[in-house]
Amino acid sequence: MVSNGGRPNLEPLEFNLNVLEEAFSKLKRSIWVFHLNTGSCNGCDIEVLDVLTPYFDVERFGIKLVGSPRHADLILLTGPVTIKTISKVVRAIKAMPRPRLVLALGSCGVGGGIWFNTYATLGGYPNLEKILKEAGVEVDKVVYVPGCPVRPEAIIYGAAVLLGLLQPKSKHRRVTAVES
Amino acid sequence: MVKFLKMLSISVREGTATRKYPFESPLVTPEFRGKIEVDPVKCVGCGACTRICPPKALTISYEGDEATLKYFVGKCIFCGMCAYVCPQKAITVSREFELATWELGDLYNEVVHTTVKCGICGKSFTTVKLIKEVERRIENKVPEDLLEVCPECRKKLTARKIGSKVVGVSGE
Repeated sequence: MVSNGGRPNLEPLEFNLNVLEEAFSKLKRSIWVFHLNTGSCNGCDIEVLDVLTPYFDVERFGIKLVGSPRHADLILLTGPVTIKTISKVVRAIKAMPRPRLVLALGSCGVGGGIWFNTYATLGGYPNLEKILKEAGVEVDKVVYVPGCPVRPEAIIYGAAVLLGLLQPKSKHRRVTAVES
Repeated sequence: MVKFLKMLSISVREGTATRKYPFESPLVTPEFRGKIEVDPVKCVGCGACTRICPPKALTISYEGDEATLKYFVGKCIFCGMCAYVCPQKAITVSREFELATWELGDLYNEVVHTTVKCGICGKSFTTVKLIKEVERRIENKVPEDLLEVCPECRKKLTARKIGSKVVGVSGE
């Protein structure tokens, strides 16, 4: 579906899983992030910038913003993935080296937010995942960070959950309504 | 040349600006709106919150003899409108924002209600608790035969009554 722009496909067809697992186990700190806006309202993008300022300073964990997905371990995906951006998003994620990590930020990134069923958007990362599978792009780990916009602390918390430093607090809860 | 040394005195005076967030409490004000909590004791399953919710993060679905009020945190925009419209004040806005998880299913919260079946067509149309609440609020002034009848059957029933009164026709 997504053309490679005439370049040869550099990804080997049979990927060595042992190498991948080794790389994944080494990925505990100092992850480099690439900020990918897929048509968001810029609320989450401003919060991502907040995280990088000296006030919240994620560089104390070694997290650094890079300008190219080829250098990145993690993609900070904001926005509900508009139809126009699909091809670019798939190309950006494909350009990342394995192991690929994705942090879906904000209500839009997780479930589409208020654009969950419009004609112009996919409605968040879960729907993009199917397209990525069709394009043969594998993502190794995804962490969903709800919030509208996400708090800078929530992004730091999400990154910690992604790296396995913290256990997620959210649990699926199903309760029966009780008579008062 | 040593102009930059001026910075040292300033930094000594001002101290460290950086928050030590994971090791200290977050900067959450009392007005901050986070994840909502639905009280299963107070909730009657009227669905007022599902109608006001802008991203339809709150939905109510009827399946069999169960009505499920589903709250998907992933879609919620934390506007607090549901807590504002709730007639029973069953929804409270908490200050919880550390919601990150790798499992999408963890972001669902559900409250299950038992439903009432229509006395005529047998279709489940509302929750037991809502009918009791309506009865309580209007002090048992509902006609007994209309209380457990779904809106569509009630329409037919009323039309039939009017028909028999005005025209003197009974039946359909």
